[in-house]
Amino acid sequence: MKLSKLIEKTKSLLDPKERKNKAQKKNLKHVIKKLRKQEKALIKSLDGESSKEKSALIQDQVNLAHAQRKKGLKVLKSLKKS
Amino acid sequence: MFSLTLRKIVLRKLFLPSVFIILVYGFWVSPEFQEISAGVSILMFGMLAMEEGFRMFTGGVLEKLLRKTTDKLWKSISFGVVSTTIMQSSAAVSVISISFLSAGLITLVAGVGIVFGANLGTTTGAWLVAGLGLKVKISVYAMPMLVFGLVLVLQKAKGLKGSGFILAGLGGMFLGIHFMKEGFDSFKAAFDLTAYAVDGYPGILLFALIGVVATVVMQSSHATLVLILTALSAQQITYENALGLAIGANIGTTVTAIIGSLTANVDGRRLAGAHLIFNAVTAAVAIGFIYQLTGIVDVISGWMGIANDNYAMKLAVFHSIFNGLGIVLMLPMINPMVRFLQRVIKPRVRTVAEPRYLNSSTIDLPDTTIEAVRMETLRLYDNASEIIAEGLSLNLLDILSDRPLDELVARARRPASLDIDERYDLNVKELYGKIVEFISNAQSNMSPRQENDLFALRAAGRDIVEAIKDTKHLQKNLSVYLASENEVIRREYDNIRVNLANALRQLDVVRKQDDESSVSLSLDSIKIGMKQHDRDLNARLSTLIRDHLITAPMSISLMNDSGYAYHVTKNLVKMGDVLFSSSESQLREAERSVSLDEGELEELLQETQTPNPGRNDETQ
Repeated sequence: MKLSKLIEKTKSLLDPKERKNKAQKKNLKHVIKKLRKQEKALIKSLDGESSKEKSALIQDQVNLAHAQRKKGLKVLKSLKKS
Repeated sequence: MFSLTLRKIVLRKLFLPSVFIILVYGFWVSPEFQEISAGVSILMFGMLAMEEGFRMFTGGVLEKLLRKTTDKLWKSISFGVVSTTIMQSSAAVSVISISFLSAGLITLVAGVGIVFGANLGTTTGAWLVAGLGLKVKISVYAMPMLVFGLVLVLQKAKGLKGSGFILAGLGGMFLGIHFMKEGFDSFKAAFDLTAYAVDGYPGILLFALIGVVATVVMQSSHATLVLILTALSAQQITYENALGLAIGANIGTTVTAIIGSLTANVDGRRLAGAHLIFNAVTAAVAIGFIYQLTGIVDVISGWMGIANDNYAMKLAVFHSIFNGLGIVLMLPMINPMVRFLQRVIKPRVRTVAEPRYLNSSTIDLPDTTIEAVRMETLRLYDNASEIIAEGLSLNLLDILSDRPLDELVARARRPASLDIDERYDLNVKELYGKIVEFISNAQSNMSPRQENDLFALRAAGRDIVEAIKDTKHLQKNLSVYLASENEVIRREYDNIRVNLANALRQLDVVRKQDDESSVSLSLDSIKIGMKQHDRDLNARLSTLIRDHLITAPMSISLMNDSGYAYHVTKNLVKMGDVLFSSSESQLREAERSVSLDEGELEELLQETQTPNPGRNDETQ
């Protein structure tokens, strides 16, 4: 590893703001991953659902999970910029 | 209450003055005794500073570790060994375990495991003092440690301050040992304590009793053990009598745990009982087989190359063997012992409004306090959801079952006989008052993050109370229209009931869901359902009036009551966001950051949904 990179890494390790930002990104990624998993599971359950009413409810949940994931990605992007 | 008062009377009126009189007399008669006592005081002061340092330094790490390392018995025992080795205080670890148990964070078996481990961990202190403290001139290290420690204590940064306390604490302990050693050396020149040595079993029993008393007075078996080791190295007590003292110290240390458990709940008291049984049985076995054990100590000491006359090291070996033996003997007895304690120490009969998790034993551990408040607020929610369910003329257990809600609602036509005000006063108001009072007393030594967590829990309690009040308003018309002859209004009120019951059912699902499911997704889903119902009703309302299906007063009641139902759900979702979210604050923040706000939810509703009156049925 180059010295400049090493200094940069040490700096980010010692900077509390940087550390907090890193932790926020890590947690947000975890939440987004969780939402993606749930969204996929809901879509899968949608395929096997014969009741129209229940299908509509599952579809609502899929839409909601998608909207939350989109919001999460937006927040993650802004965290990466800061 | 009675035991607390008794304790105060004994401590204040009899115990303390007696100790002072003995000490003053001792100081007057012997300057050496004064030096030894000063050594003990500095040692204990050092231990207190170390404890304070660990508390500041860990910032909840100990609590998090404890939570994760109690799923298996061997893990609990290991935790007890390691934490006591680091903190050098088995009593502190026992008291922390009692606090955790009281807050409902660990099981009684796990708590017993920690106490067993702490007993083994405390033996490392004897090794350190006998192996290092008495051989090397540790006072040379004590001075710079104290100076650097104090400089660090004066710093603002929490980490530095904590390190300062630990360093100064270690310095204090080293200096204390030095003074005790010096004191005993000078004592030897003036007075030979070995003249009072008692041989055989009477001596062991007598010195075990002295060990108990000394540890009860000093509230630390570690301090007693250091005192024994320094006296032994100065040849002021015989090896045999030192063994008796060490055994007594092990029993005496349980007193600290018993005092700590006085304010704890029933499980805390059971753990203190387990601690007493373990140490008493171990001591009885050690006394019964003392000569066999000393034989084993001689053999092991020979293997380890410990000189035959190095009694301090041999005492350390003995201390480890007899505590280890205690664990081996008592380990298979853990479950029968727990059953015995559960039979003997019974919980008091409590009303539902009486707190179960709030007790002052957790107040020194901020994260444990927060968890205790969370558990108690969950109980508040349990009490409240029963009232809400009954207010809807439904049974909570039925709501939480998997039976179709529309069927349940259609069958329940009898208006609720429940007086919500009375039930609120009995089951909710009193408990909430106690939670608020506890929070006010607990927040003094908390970080801003921890204070925020407590405020959020208090607000969650308020949301629960608001939900009950709105249910009360709703109940008035609900009772009238529940069995109305007008089928349309009856159906509309049934819709409200199904919706609210569905919210309670979904909240129960969120409460029980694992870490792999998103809490914010589930809560937002409840919010969407609630908004959708409100929107559908508003869309239908004009048609219902226009077609004379309901009267104008009925429509006003329906609008108002739909609003109340909306607020009940909204408040319960707000409460769920606090009570059911991850205990990891950063993860909780991340979850909240993806949750949709009111505007975003409206937008999503407009984008994706069309009015659907039948969507009130359960969604899970």
